[in-house]
Amino acid sequence: MAALPETSQERIGFYICHCGINIAYKVRCPELAEYIKTLPNVVVSRDYLFMCSDPGQELIEKDVKEYGLNRVVVASCSPRMHEHTFRAACARAGLNPFRAFHHVCVREHVSWVTLDEDQATEKAKDLCRAGVLRVQHQDDLFPKTFPVNTNTLVVGGGIAGMQASLDIASAGYQVYLVERQPTIGGHMLQYDKTFPTLDCAACIGTPKMVSVGQHKKIEILSYCEVESVDGFVGNFQVKVRKRARYVNPAKCTGCGECTQNCPVELPNEWDVGTKKRKAVYQSFPQAVPITFVIDKRDRAPCVQTCPAGTAAQGYVTLIREGKYEEAVRLILEKLPLPGVLGRVCPAPCETRCRRAEIDSPVSIRDLKRFAADQIDLGTFALPPVAKQPPEERVAVVGSGPAGISCAYFLVRQGYPVTVFEALPVIGGLLRTGIPEFRLPRDVLDREIEFLRRTGIEFKTGSPIGKDRTVDHLLSDGYRAVFLATGAWESMQLGVDGEDLDGVLPGLDLLRKKALGEEVSVGDRVVVIGGGNAAMDACRTALRMGASVVTVLYRRTRAEMPASEEEIEAALAEGVKIEYLAAPVRILGNGGRVTGMECIRMELGEPDESGRRRPVPQPGSEYTIEVDTVIPAIGQRPDLSRRDCTPGVGFDRRGRVEVDPVSMQTSRPEIFAGGDLYTGPATVVEAVAAGHEAAISIERFLKGEELQANRGEKPAGEDWAPVPAGEQPRERAQMPEMEPKERAKTFAEGQQGLSEEQARAEAARCIACGVCCECKLCVSACEAKAIEHDQQDEIVDLNVGSIVIATGFDAMDPTPLDHYGYGRLPNVVTNLEFERLSNSTGPTSGKILMRDPQDHFKYTRPPASVAILHCIGSRDKNYHEYCSRTCCMYALKFAHLIKDKCGHDTQIYNFYIDMRCFGKGYEEFYQRVQSEGVRMIRGKAVGVTDRAESPDEEGYLVVQAEDSLTGQLLRVPVEMAILCTAMEPRPDAVEVARTFGISTGREGFFTEEHPKLEPVSTPTAGVFLAGACQGPKDIPDAVAQAKAASSEAQSLSTLGQVVVAPMISGIDPDVCVGCQVCIDLCPYSAIEIDDFRGISVVNEALCKGCGSCAGYCPSGAAKIRHFTDKQIFAEIDGIMASG
Amino acid sequence: MSANEPTIVAFLCNWCTFTAADLAGTSRLSYPSNVKIIRMMCSGMVDPKYVIKAFLEGADGVLIGGCWPGDCHYINGNYKARRRVALLTEILKQFGIGEDRLWLRWVAASEGNMFQEVITDMTKQLKELGPSPLKGRLVA
Repeated sequence: MAALPETSQERIGFYICHCGINIAYKVRCPELAEYIKTLPNVVVSRDYLFMCSDPGQELIEKDVKEYGLNRVVVASCSPRMHEHTFRAACARAGLNPFRAFHHVCVREHVSWVTLDEDQATEKAKDLCRAGVLRVQHQDDLFPKTFPVNTNTLVVGGGIAGMQASLDIASAGYQVYLVERQPTIGGHMLQYDKTFPTLDCAACIGTPKMVSVGQHKKIEILSYCEVESVDGFVGNFQVKVRKRARYVNPAKCTGCGECTQNCPVELPNEWDVGTKKRKAVYQSFPQAVPITFVIDKRDRAPCVQTCPAGTAAQGYVTLIREGKYEEAVRLILEKLPLPGVLGRVCPAPCETRCRRAEIDSPVSIRDLKRFAADQIDLGTFALPPVAKQPPEERVAVVGSGPAGISCAYFLVRQGYPVTVFEALPVIGGLLRTGIPEFRLPRDVLDREIEFLRRTGIEFKTGSPIGKDRTVDHLLSDGYRAVFLATGAWESMQLGVDGEDLDGVLPGLDLLRKKALGEEVSVGDRVVVIGGGNAAMDACRTALRMGASVVTVLYRRTRAEMPASEEEIEAALAEGVKIEYLAAPVRILGNGGRVTGMECIRMELGEPDESGRRRPVPQPGSEYTIEVDTVIPAIGQRPDLSRRDCTPGVGFDRRGRVEVDPVSMQTSRPEIFAGGDLYTGPATVVEAVAAGHEAAISIERFLKGEELQANRGEKPAGEDWAPVPAGEQPRERAQMPEMEPKERAKTFAEGQQGLSEEQARAEAARCIACGVCCECKLCVSACEAKAIEHDQQDEIVDLNVGSIVIATGFDAMDPTPLDHYGYGRLPNVVTNLEFERLSNSTGPTSGKILMRDPQDHFKYTRPPASVAILHCIGSRDKNYHEYCSRTCCMYALKFAHLIKDKCGHDTQIYNFYIDMRCFGKGYEEFYQRVQSEGVRMIRGKAVGVTDRAESPDEEGYLVVQAEDSLTGQLLRVPVEMAILCTAMEPRPDAVEVARTFGISTGREGFFTEEHPKLEPVSTPTAGVFLAGACQGPKDIPDAVAQAKAASSEAQSLSTLGQVVVAPMISGIDPDVCVGCQVCIDLCPYSAIEIDDFRGISVVNEALCKGCGSCAGYCPSGAAKIRHFTDKQIFAEIDGIMASG
Repeated sequence: MSANEPTIVAFLCNWCTFTAADLAGTSRLSYPSNVKIIRMMCSGMVDPKYVIKAFLEGADGVLIGGCWPGDCHYINGNYKARRRVALLTEILKQFGIGEDRLWLRWVAASEGNMFQEVITDMTKQLKELGPSPLKGRLVA
């Protein structure tokens, strides 16, 4: 046993409580008292009927005085119940309660759980002996008091949260009401009438909402969620995420013009999917606050994938609506060349289109082309231009897509821009690298003309090179330069005979053709390469009159980098592709190409590009006869570019070196991008680079930080779900010329979608991002309240108490497929029925049946209705508990149907047993029965539309057993209502963690005591109200809210809290300063005292978890009241029986 | 307690397992009387020397009860307990105390029935194992 001081001054009183018979029926209390008396230092040992009673407590106080006791041990119920009571008694007797008192639990831990009397008595002796030993090592402790912050946080704005807020605010304390939905109100406001009085829920609910909204002491934080809670009772620090609403509450007047103009529709959560809402919406007309909200998820995958970030979902939606001008305007926000990209873009957007989960991706690119083709750019209104100082001129070198794009975005920002182009024509590779049959010249010309009209100055025939360098441009007064001279130089094959007449690099062929220069090909043409340039070259050669065009590619079709579409087109037009073959040398006669020696290849190990490396097969050489050889194996920037830009870095492949985010070169005033930086890439990537450079150049000119808030593409996959039940529809195909026909002409082969096709195609979009950012709402809003750039904000709150009123969810009955919910259109849930009956619902309050063809259409009132109780409640497979409200609302439904659909409507209630326990509830039951509603005692087992007799044809048949008569029933009805269980919110566990409370087996939050502490939680200062604690009806929720508010007010009114003194202390004489505890402490409550070289506890932060004490290698860290001596004594006491 | 009745010393966290033990009592779920509970504030404050002390004094088994991972009242004390127990198990093996004598269990406040199961199972297993090899040999 642990040693005690030799001349012990300890005088212990021991008391065993009978707790009526609760303890005494298993533990022989007098025997126990006799035994404890034999232990050293025990002066008094008594048994008593009720120690917690006044006489019991007085007994202790009297003994302390009479016998000079300085230690008291009481063995009774759990210390969680009465430790506090007896500590108070000791304090009254003049002792320090923490030093003097120890509580032993012999009820919950002994008498109630032990069957045998002898065993119970023995166990009680062990525990009491341990307590008597422990108490002798306890020390004086002094609890600390802290002031209470009188602000209260209420989480959840349903009826419970609203009531608690009003009560607390009316007492004069500030309330922050956090609600996840855009409006307060909660489930109650979704209901039509309330039982048993049949008050209209809106009539009694909306005044509450208004009172909350107008109360000076209540701040509503709607569309917000609590992120984290720190601190302790009276002093909580709460972080609240204020989700971006994209509508400024200070400006929004609630007029609803935005909603009128919004083209995106989706099922309304408030109406549980019975009707649709727009992406910008208000839950219901009486919403508080009235501010609208835009439902904006993560950007749609098409937008995320587009290198230029084009609002693809937006313009697709606008095309569906027939708003082509708006669509083009939206495209022009990110792309200066809609018609060009509508033709030549490889459409990365379509690769991740989620429509493919239903059938195939939306033809986003063809839709863009369609929109662009509908618009006359010659008269198209110019985009708005910002004003900037006129001397901030910018020079762009190169008029390809990157240069054009940079110039365009700078001009839109108000900067004068001059584009210098070496060739006599504008467009760069768009004009000289893409053949006319893919990109008609008039399309390109029109768009360039439009750009000229926006204010870009083009200077053709103005090469920037050795003779005129960028330094000349800078000295001419340009403040910044963007280099976008592209990748023009064809790569060499590196085989003999490459200099023969008749060898014509692909790019040269295309350029000469485009510029109208003299160029011809022979009869037999071989194109070498497998990229898009090779495809363009072979198709051009075909159109120039070659009769045999062969493509030689050293790998297989699977590795070919050209787009699938281009390969298909080439093959259809008659091009032959020879796979796994490469040139060895070009043969000539008299300086002219006559043939080519080739070799067969096979695929070896993958190379650094991930593609399998082609390996020549020795001995497989063969010769072909050919007139023209067109190498198209790649291109790179012209190395001579370096000369025009002294001081700018280039890599060995001639690519310019820039910062990948800002596109800035090593010279701060010079930026570069496009193929010059990336090597040959797509048009849309060049456009994106031009836009980024324009942003950087503007920031550079304004002297702003270039990198801030950039470089990260929007990601995240919080998208609208793929709509269930959407039927597959074929992807639109553009009408096209016959391949043989089009191979004869340079006219464009594809003719574009018809208007009908385009709008139907656009309607295939499933609106992944919900809001499509078409910005129609922006122009519709006269108050200028729409702010699409809003970001989530974190709000810090300091509160003293917290009321949690997060409510419940109605169970989704889809998994109970025998009831046919989701499959049978007129099987509805209770919540759907509430909305049907509610005047703000889909039918303006008429109870109508759903059209089987259209989920959102309702036809006529039902002539017969079945109401099925206990769906998911009182069911071992789902929830064992009773949801407590269903019997009553089922009766209410029966009444409402009789009232609204006529008294001849047949109504059947299938119940297990009726639970009408509240005030006026039984009377309401009687009343509804007297209205002619049939009550059938027996849970319905299923609903089917399979008729077994002609009478059942066309009806829903409810199957049940009438347990009063023992008959099996099949009841044909037109509508069936499922009274679904009230469930905990799906994130209740995370919410519980955030607030440091717990959830019970069913997932509802647990109260501190099921009877006596129904609204408190184990975490002091956190209270519960409403259905988050368990299923309950409105009166109970309101009563609990009032109780919780009273708890919060008590704290605030008292103004201070006492915090238990069981916290850590580090003995400065023992601590060696190893600092292990500092990392272990979850509250950062331990700091190192540099001067003394030891760790010190900050008592205001320490919560007494003991992480430090459990580890401390020197034993310096101890938790007060849980010291080694105390625990050792307890172990000794337990084991002493051995 | 007679020789074939094992003694279990249980260090229970105040917020979860101790409360579960209370709930087992309130719900009158009986279990063997072999367990003797010592209340701790957190499983993370159970110093390994308490466990060693209990075995040295002759305990046949030691139970540490804490909150489920993620539910610790003190953020992460139960994770610390888990790490310590993993290490402690290795040390105890050197003294002939197998890992089946030191149990770490997560029992939430609402899981009174689980507390009953744990005690019943542990008592049964310890009876099968027989008395602790340290029993009666190393009493201080």
